[in-house]
Amino acid sequence: MSKRVMIVDDALFMRTMLRDIFESAGWQVVVEAETGAEAIEEYEIHQPDLVSMDIVMPEMGGIEALTKILSKHPAARIVVCSALSQKDLILNAINAGAKDFIVKPFQNTQVLEVVNRVVTG
Amino acid sequence: MDIDKFREMFLTEAAEHLEVMADILLQLDSDPEDQEGIDALFREAHSIKGMAATMEYAKTARLAHHLEDRLDDCRPLGRISAVGIDWLLEAVDLLELLLDDIRNERTERDVETFITAIPKEPIADVSSATAEKRVDPGLAEEGFLVQLRLQETVTTAGARFLILLKRLADFGTILESTPSTEALLQGEDPGQLLVRLDSDISQEEICQRLQEYSEIREITFPVAIAEEKSRKKEPSGKMVRVSTELLDHLINLTGELITNRYQMQSAVKEHNWQAVDDGVGQLARLVKNLHHQVLQVRMVSLESLAGRLSRTVHDLSRSSGKEISFKVEGTEIELDRAIVEELTDPLIHMVRNAVDHGIDQCGTVSIKAWREQDQVLVQVADNGRGIDPEKIRQQAQEKGLVSPAQAKSMRDYDLFQLICQPGFSTTAEVNEISGRGVGMDVVKTAVERVGGLLLIDSVPGEGARITLKVPLSLAIIRVLIVECAGTRMAMPITRVVQTVEVAPAEVQSSGKQLMIHYQDQLLPMLSLRKILKAPKGSHLDPIPVVITEVQGRKIGLVVDQLVGQREVFVQRLPAPFDQVRGCSGGTILGDGQIIFLLDLQTLFERR
Repeated sequence: MSKRVMIVDDALFMRTMLRDIFESAGWQVVVEAETGAEAIEEYEIHQPDLVSMDIVMPEMGGIEALTKILSKHPAARIVVCSALSQKDLILNAINAGAKDFIVKPFQNTQVLEVVNRVVTG
Repeated sequence: MDIDKFREMFLTEAAEHLEVMADILLQLDSDPEDQEGIDALFREAHSIKGMAATMEYAKTARLAHHLEDRLDDCRPLGRISAVGIDWLLEAVDLLELLLDDIRNERTERDVETFITAIPKEPIADVSSATAEKRVDPGLAEEGFLVQLRLQETVTTAGARFLILLKRLADFGTILESTPSTEALLQGEDPGQLLVRLDSDISQEEICQRLQEYSEIREITFPVAIAEEKSRKKEPSGKMVRVSTELLDHLINLTGELITNRYQMQSAVKEHNWQAVDDGVGQLARLVKNLHHQVLQVRMVSLESLAGRLSRTVHDLSRSSGKEISFKVEGTEIELDRAIVEELTDPLIHMVRNAVDHGIDQCGTVSIKAWREQDQVLVQVADNGRGIDPEKIRQQAQEKGLVSPAQAKSMRDYDLFQLICQPGFSTTAEVNEISGRGVGMDVVKTAVERVGGLLLIDSVPGEGARITLKVPLSLAIIRVLIVECAGTRMAMPITRVVQTVEVAPAEVQSSGKQLMIHYQDQLLPMLSLRKILKAPKGSHLDPIPVVITEVQGRKIGLVVDQLVGQREVFVQRLPAPFDQVRGCSGGTILGDGQIIFLLDLQTLFERR
């Protein structure tokens, strides 16, 4: 059965790119979310195998969202996506419980390596 | 001031200085007492400090200054410790990163963590007192070190290490890590992560589990400083350092094997026998390659051993007042590390014997190693007085090891083997006379334990030569398969002198003992059936005989059938079968048949 992923990113471009990468590798993108608040709601509904979470988003950012998701679902597998310049944010996200991280700009293979080991690990 | 122009100049020059430093450090690694090298390092660090300070690159200047201070400690002592060299190499790496920051107009990265993380022990000193201080003694006893380095392309080292630290925590308990989780969370981007892990998981397993992180460039299991001291005495530990290149080879091969499997599966489905045949051919090639690569992991050169032997000769030469020169040849020869371990003490023993008993006042002890197919020969030779066969003959007779008739008929070669008999070598008096014998039984036992043979030859007045013939590897060896009482069994080819077929008419008897002619000697003929307490077999013509050597004497071992030679992967027998005497392991043949490996040594001991 294909793995189910939720993509959280405020930029349509990034969501589309990630969707392509996931689908090309046989994943099922169950839902996309544009904000942290949406991500929390959608997680409840879909309970995906993996969440790819942007860190910087309007209204509620990725770290707050992942903290909230994890407080209710400690086993949630969340991978954060962030630009290299936001090193501190990545560290905060890991500290908050992100399972791994992807640095933008990224290559398909890198993304798949990270998400595959997170869902199998 | 045109800052940009000066920055370029600074960067180019500083990079050159760093390159020189790295070169000197690698040279110092092999010769830590090179005063000129230490002075040069100091000057390089000083130059970098001066330039960086002028350009107001505070952190670069701070680190270079710190280096300068530490190097200054070394100068009066004229030596630098191994730990110090590693630390300095890391510092050079960090300076390179700082130059990178400056080149890309970023803020210089933090250097304080690096400077303060290292205890202020002088890198100049490697005395046990300071070495042990480095590791908390409570922690030093537990767990083992895992050191991870990332690919150069990884830009977020700190965050990556944090993830890896979490992953490692899945394998056991992390006793300590450098840098710590806190330091990493505060944004430190180190070049490596050093973790002391308490875990039941084997190191191989850890490597395997971390394989899914392509970000990792290198996984090593360094020995702690306190442990390192003892490791120096014991050059071959249980640790295996595997280059990533070799690992990549293995991974590629595994990938090819998987492809091969699919090809063959579909070929079988399509009943395309030509393709199956091709597939099998390819499989054979891949497995052979894999075998070769895997063996490589366990291989070490004799280099480490040569150093110790040279030291032994040096010490003996000093203590005995004899003038001994030492020659080594073939140290590049590689052997399974378990074999090198097993041979270390015997070789030291043999060298000591050569100096103590072989050489009178001055002479040469030489060690030579070479390869013959899948065997390695190591020879210890001296140009001393040699072994006197007559004295051995006399002694062996007096000791009751051989009958007067036997003694008379024994060839020199067989006589020399007698000095390896336990009863022979314990007598100090014999040692004095024969010039040999101290612990030769121990040497022989060790060699035979790894499936090897020991050969002695000597010419009175010209010296003695002892040759050890050992297999390349313990795991995969070449065996002779024989059949006896309906069962196939194997013996290491290294233990086989020759296989012959004898016509029943050629068998002679001497009392109760049947004998056969082999070359120009009479050898006792023993039946493997009898030894294994199997019922008597039918009459054979010709009689297949394996000529082997047991306790220094050649014998002819009669089997039902000689089946052939092949390479096998020997596995230890699980309990309780490991208690079966005369049987040192087992292997599974292609058709699923289990074959036991005969340990001739213990098989005959029981008799």
